[in-house]
Amino acid sequence: MLAKIKTVLSSLMLVELLKGMALTGRYFFARKITIQFPEERTPMSPRFRGLHALRRYPNGEERCIACKLCEAVCPAMAITIESEQREDNTRRTTRYDIDLTKCIFCGFCEESCPVDSIVETRIFDYHGEKRGDLLYTKPMLLAVGDKYETQIAADRSADAKYR
Amino acid sequence: MLNIEIDGKAVEVDHGTTIIDAADKLGIAIPRFCYHKKLSVAANCRMCLVQVEKFAKPLPACATPVADGMKIFTRSKAAVEAQKSVMEFLLINHPLDCPICDQGGECDLQDIAVAYGAPASRYAEEKRVVLNKNIGPLVSTDMTRCIQCTRCVRFLKEVGGMMELGMVGRGEHAEITAYVDKSVDSELSGNIIDLCPVGALTSKPFRYKARTWELTRRPSIAPHDGLGSQIEVHIKDGKVLRVLPREKESINECWLSDRDRFSYEGLNSPDRLTVPMIKHHGEWHETDWKTALEFAAGQLKDITNADGGEQLGVLVSPNSTMEEAYLAKQIAHGLGSSNIDYRLRQTDFRLDGKRMGTPWMGCNIPDLQEMDRILVIGSNLRNEHPLLANRIRKAVAQGAELSLVNPMDDDQLMAVKHKAICTPNDMVNVLAQILKAMSGLQRLSLCLPKSLNDLLETVRVWDNSQAMAESLAGLGKEVDLVSPRTGIFLGNIAQSHPRFTELYSLAEAIASLCGATFGILSPAANSTGAHLVGVLPGEHGLNAKAMLESPRKAYLLVNVEPELDCHHAAQARQAIAEAECVIALTAYKSEALEHADVLLPIAPFTETSGTYMSMEGRVQSFTAVTKPLGECRPGWKILRVLGNTLGLSGFDFDSSEQVKNAIFGGQKPSTVVWNSLNNNLRELIDIQVKIKSNVLQRLGEVPQFQSDAIVRRSPPLQKTRAVQAPVAAMHSQLLTELGLDDGEMVTVKQGVASVLLKAKRDDRLPHGVVRVPTALPVTSLLGDLMGEIEVTRA
Amino acid sequence: MAAFDTPVQHRSDKETLVCLRTLGQPDPASLQAYLNVGGYKQLQRLVQDKVKATDVITQVKLSGLRGRGGAGFPTGLKWSFMPRYYDGTKYLVCNTDEGEPGTFKDRDIIRYNPHQLIEGMAIAAYTLGARVGYNYIHGEIWQDYEIFERALDEARAAGFIGENLFGTTFSFDLFAVHGYGAYICGEETALIESIEGKKGQPRFKPPFPASYGVFGKPTNVNNTESYTSIPWILEHGGDAFQALGVPNSGGTKLFSVSGHVERPGNYEVRMGMPFTELLDIAGGVWKGRQLKAVIPGGPSTAVMPAAAIMGATMDYDGLSKAGSSLGAGSMIVMDETTCMVKTLKRLSYFFYEESCGQCTPCREGTGWLYRVVKRIVEGEGRMGDLDLLTDVSSNISGRTICALGDAAATPVLSFIKHFRPEFEYYIQHGKSMVTGKAE
Repeated sequence: MLAKIKTVLSSLMLVELLKGMALTGRYFFARKITIQFPEERTPMSPRFRGLHALRRYPNGEERCIACKLCEAVCPAMAITIESEQREDNTRRTTRYDIDLTKCIFCGFCEESCPVDSIVETRIFDYHGEKRGDLLYTKPMLLAVGDKYETQIAADRSADAKYR
Repeated sequence: MLNIEIDGKAVEVDHGTTIIDAADKLGIAIPRFCYHKKLSVAANCRMCLVQVEKFAKPLPACATPVADGMKIFTRSKAAVEAQKSVMEFLLINHPLDCPICDQGGECDLQDIAVAYGAPASRYAEEKRVVLNKNIGPLVSTDMTRCIQCTRCVRFLKEVGGMMELGMVGRGEHAEITAYVDKSVDSELSGNIIDLCPVGALTSKPFRYKARTWELTRRPSIAPHDGLGSQIEVHIKDGKVLRVLPREKESINECWLSDRDRFSYEGLNSPDRLTVPMIKHHGEWHETDWKTALEFAAGQLKDITNADGGEQLGVLVSPNSTMEEAYLAKQIAHGLGSSNIDYRLRQTDFRLDGKRMGTPWMGCNIPDLQEMDRILVIGSNLRNEHPLLANRIRKAVAQGAELSLVNPMDDDQLMAVKHKAICTPNDMVNVLAQILKAMSGLQRLSLCLPKSLNDLLETVRVWDNSQAMAESLAGLGKEVDLVSPRTGIFLGNIAQSHPRFTELYSLAEAIASLCGATFGILSPAANSTGAHLVGVLPGEHGLNAKAMLESPRKAYLLVNVEPELDCHHAAQARQAIAEAECVIALTAYKSEALEHADVLLPIAPFTETSGTYMSMEGRVQSFTAVTKPLGECRPGWKILRVLGNTLGLSGFDFDSSEQVKNAIFGGQKPSTVVWNSLNNNLRELIDIQVKIKSNVLQRLGEVPQFQSDAIVRRSPPLQKTRAVQAPVAAMHSQLLTELGLDDGEMVTVKQGVASVLLKAKRDDRLPHGVVRVPTALPVTSLLGDLMGEIEVTRA
Repeated sequence: MAAFDTPVQHRSDKETLVCLRTLGQPDPASLQAYLNVGGYKQLQRLVQDKVKATDVITQVKLSGLRGRGGAGFPTGLKWSFMPRYYDGTKYLVCNTDEGEPGTFKDRDIIRYNPHQLIEGMAIAAYTLGARVGYNYIHGEIWQDYEIFERALDEARAAGFIGENLFGTTFSFDLFAVHGYGAYICGEETALIESIEGKKGQPRFKPPFPASYGVFGKPTNVNNTESYTSIPWILEHGGDAFQALGVPNSGGTKLFSVSGHVERPGNYEVRMGMPFTELLDIAGGVWKGRQLKAVIPGGPSTAVMPAAAIMGATMDYDGLSKAGSSLGAGSMIVMDETTCMVKTLKRLSYFFYEESCGQCTPCREGTGWLYRVVKRIVEGEGRMGDLDLLTDVSSNISGRTICALGDAAATPVLSFIKHFRPEFEYYIQHGKSMVTGKAE
């Protein structure tokens, strides 16, 4: 009997509504954690494994020496390399393709690279309009590297002591 | 026999066995760099140090002969410690540039370092750098990687016959180098790439093309000389990227000649014909297979119907497979023609129909190195049969006496006991003298037929020939009369010789007198096979020479580039140009086939299945190792469909094995071959010994790297020192008589054809001979490769 | 050129001259001088009386003569290894390729008494049945090579070498061959390669030269001093020679004393002489300083601190008991002002430069040792370096084709063993404990 009265009273006095409002009110004044992507970004680890890039040395020479270790280690077989002797007798790639639709972003390519050429950057919000757009070729990868070199270099040095 | 124990396993071995051999026999791996079973022992890498009971110091397994009761420990603490320390020493100055090293993935140093190397180096000082050497277009050097094992040095000295590489400098400054400004020109130079345990010597054409783990390896057979070397073709993405030897002790051991190793580059030549082509009103049009084959069949039928089968000539390259040869023969016969031949560079066909079987080498390849006395007639061994020359070199090193009868004195890099360097004509004379001397020695003249005896009456024996006969008969030595371990062989020059019949008959007679093995060294991969298949003119048919001398209206060419592959370039050119219809099955577009009417793209050996029969009668089938390029098709398929299109019967083959079965009549190939191989003559042929001739004779040899269409298109081989602009070489005396100077431009004339060449003094030639190589674009205007020649000042 | 005319500088009455017995004659290197002391008589006696080879070998065995080149192998025993009956030419080789720092005894034999060497070789040739002999002379002592050539001319003219000697069927041709200064050519098989005209690199043994030597023929190789002792042994008998020395080390020995002594030079003394006495003969330590260390037999033998060598006697057993070896008798004396670290650097450099480069441990290891020691001397040493040096040295020794590997390791091991604090000081302070300076 008493319980019934309690229920009736509480529904009449909108207790639950007020409780809900209180919660809303509390969050209304609390610090916000939503961010405005893409204008705002969440913090990221320097080890983040996003879009790949091919790096260059400061003098502009590409780092990749076509050792093909990344191609060999890639579990998804997403990397295709062709190589030959460049005119200055150095070993260079003529083709370096990463099929991002195959890639599983495991980071093995980066681990295996003896010259820190292929790296995974913090970029994750790339897209393609056609399937073929996600087949990244050597010039595209080099372009990514050129654009983000400062960040890439900073990330590598931040992580260097743990490697 | 000695009883020893290695790592607790007992084994019985022969006297003189080294520890490493005994361990290999037991399957116990001892790491090694400098040791190679085919080379002398250097014991300089020290990697194979093992512990031996009762010895204070570790001993090198490669150089220590076992003693009875020896107890050897390869994995004991002392042994492993020694091996690890040597590994550390080897690595301190090694650049560790594995990521850019072509040897990476198949490197002995890498592999053994995984087992014996430390995870990190204790060496913190500066590393040694050694400048690279340019040793030619085939082998690329990275000398900093060298670990001074000297395998390459020992190979070139012991197997190649000339020490073209050596170690100079002392201690840390020791480095491997060639002679100043010299390259490594051995015809076996590619083997040092395989021998090098690190990446110091790698293949130049293959440089940086692929990593070893990317390559698919498929077995095949080398398509050039008659040895039938077993090869392993390495492929990536359907493209042949390199060729390595397969180990076969009884054929090529573990070596490969440069021609077999680097010719694959010709397979990727831009000259490759990839679609069928038909000529309409003097212009080439690409077409499809159906049109091309129907057109070809129509043309062939029209001519053979109108003018009879004898107006068709079929020329088959001796580098074609047995299946191709067989089907070409079936087509010729189906069209009523018996004009078919594979002996494109032969000029003397008087032996046809008089042989008892298929001509062959007369013995097996390993038998050569066991011989005590060898006579080679008309062969530039190193040029024609590089690995066979190596077998003979081995025999000579073991004390065999080598005699040569040759029209040139090229250095064979082995000790020649006797040699007769004379004009091609005199070669017959010399052989007659040897025969006469031999019959005198053996007192077996009764065995010679009367006609020969009469003939020999007139011959006067020179001292040199007498000495040669004595050497062959083993005079004054212990000779096993049953199998005297003597061999007499006719080389390529003898087979192109205008008096091949005389050479053959006399050589056979000499051989039968001294009980020697007698054979011919087949010039091409399938010469013996083509003969067995019967690619030979029928009773009234024309041979290769006659087919060009009296031109036919139609020609079917299988893998032939007429003016480069035939004995008389000018004649071949003219015959093809004037023919009404020329159907060419070819892998390459070429100037030589400009006058053809239909070009059918045929697949080279890597893209077709087939069978070759080597000079020792070994039948070796192989499969395609990669897909045909473009619209190319295997030769047997093209010929089969051509046969169908022509409406001929007996062309219902679905695979090359079925064709092979048809060739051997369902029997085991070895049975057929064994019954067929025979060098004896059915009857004696009239031979003349003395033909006095005062005319200048051409010595038109086929240079090693011009022997067939594939080799001719291999850029690295064409860049070697062996390939030079053709010259007219002659003896200095002849040069003086003709009033010419060394290096002067001269007009070389054969018949109406003439070319301008540089005269070159070459005292290795006999007087009366002008050496002008054949199978080169420049000299393809000239005539008979052993014919008369005129040389005048330009 | 006139005969070598530099006067012999220091001689002592404590010396016993066997190999240098022509000293005191007006022109000691001349044939006349040698004849004056009874030269070539023994050869003539053996050849003319047809003395049996076994008798000669017995005398040499009795004499207790051991190889003077450094290894100390009994000469009589070595001679008995030569095949008696061999159908072909046998060779005799004399090793005058002394190239180790501090070794200069053989050159003095050639300078002052070449004929005794020639006679010794001729006797050996007679005994061993060798037809041809070569004396391989170090490339950097050219003058001595010329003296020897002249002595050969004299001997040939006088009929002591050549065809049918003393009217018998015995013939022996002797030739002088000079090297180009490579230390490794003092190794007998490398020397043989060099005589054959090849690059001087040791061969793997076995086979030993006695069965496979010059041009693949049986060859006997001995040191100059060994051959030179032979005529004396045959003249006085093996027992007399043995009696000059001590048991197991017969005869006299030429010691090349160098370094910090008042009178450096060659002194021929009886085996078994106490070290202190030999030091006295050489005039004692330079400028009256304190003795610090001695390398008793050349850089390939272990260094000995003063305390260890003071009680030692100069013979094979005496020195080996004291912890080193007699080697070639090249005694290098170092006083208290010597920095052992810098000394080791110099010695390591020698072996680094002289390694032939054939086998791995020596080729790579000698360079490693030198570079580390050099780094220490330059003040860049690290504490781990001493253990590294010891370890690398032990990894070289016993694992090479010839003894150069061991020779290169010995100084490093012995220097660090005996003078470790000095090395540690250098590493810690970047300068020498002794001189107070770095390089």
